[in-house]
Amino acid sequence: MTNSPVTLVAFAFLALLALASAVATVSFRNPIRSAVGLFVHILALAGLYITLSAHFLTAVQLIVYVGAVVVLFVFVIMLLGPDAEGISDDRGVATRALGAGGMGLLGVFLALTVVRLDVQAASRPQTFGTLKQVGEWIFGEAVIPFEAASALLTAGMLGAFAVARANHKKVSVTGDVATATAKPTGGQEG
Amino acid sequence: MIHLGHYLALSALIFTIGAAGFLARRNVLVALMSIELMLNAVNLTLIAANRFQPLTPGGSVTDAAGNVTQAAGSIAPLGHGFAFFVIAVAAAEAAVGLAIVLSFYRLRKTVRSDAADMLRG
Repeated sequence: MTNSPVTLVAFAFLALLALASAVATVSFRNPIRSAVGLFVHILALAGLYITLSAHFLTAVQLIVYVGAVVVLFVFVIMLLGPDAEGISDDRGVATRALGAGGMGLLGVFLALTVVRLDVQAASRPQTFGTLKQVGEWIFGEAVIPFEAASALLTAGMLGAFAVARANHKKVSVTGDVATATAKPTGGQEG
Repeated sequence: MIHLGHYLALSALIFTIGAAGFLARRNVLVALMSIELMLNAVNLTLIAANRFQPLTPGGSVTDAAGNVTQAAGSIAPLGHGFAFFVIAVAAAEAAVGLAIVLSFYRLRKTVRSDAADMLRG
């Protein structure tokens, strides 16, 4: 499958889409546009997972990332309203160009280093990447990490709950820190 | 044709874009999205490396007639399993991170990361 022209075209299209949407995610000023960029990026990666015969991971990617993470981001952006955008970046064009150029060079260097790793895919075993095979691995060899992951998710949920519901009206922000805030939190309900 | 190097190069580029966004952007929300980009790049590496792994040959099978045949080879889904756990950790990280953003916004009425200087002595 990895040697058919269909895969070549699919890879080229999805790779370009993933790169373009990644750049869009980090460069848009409005965070809701960044979230849409992230959404497209995740869809492109799910497509790349299909070209790699990772059917189960494609489904997990769509359910967890698109269904939970991106929706969570959009929710928070909606909660914050226009304040989510923040004020504009006051760094000069030269500084930004230097940073972007430096990181771009680093990325191209890394990519050129690994792109020569010419490993061809072996013929795909019938069961590779299926829910059955990955499930057997997760509930067989990796059952303890799997249970630990459930504990992690519970802890994360409780932590998010505790952090987001904390009553900050009782926190006294003193000194010069208070002058930097727009106004003290009066009548602000969580 | 497409080989492992292409996937790794793509993943390196996505990781660098995410790292650049995390370092340069001052909006905490966009910084969190950049972290998601980096985690996704790592997932792509794991899944691609798993797909391009050589086959583990299956054992020889003797059927009822006494003919010895080679069983089909297999590839252990280790990369897929790791990517699965990375996705689980990323989901927990996004939930906690966004809760911190909300809490921070309630405190300072902004999502700029340079406004987070309450810990300085």
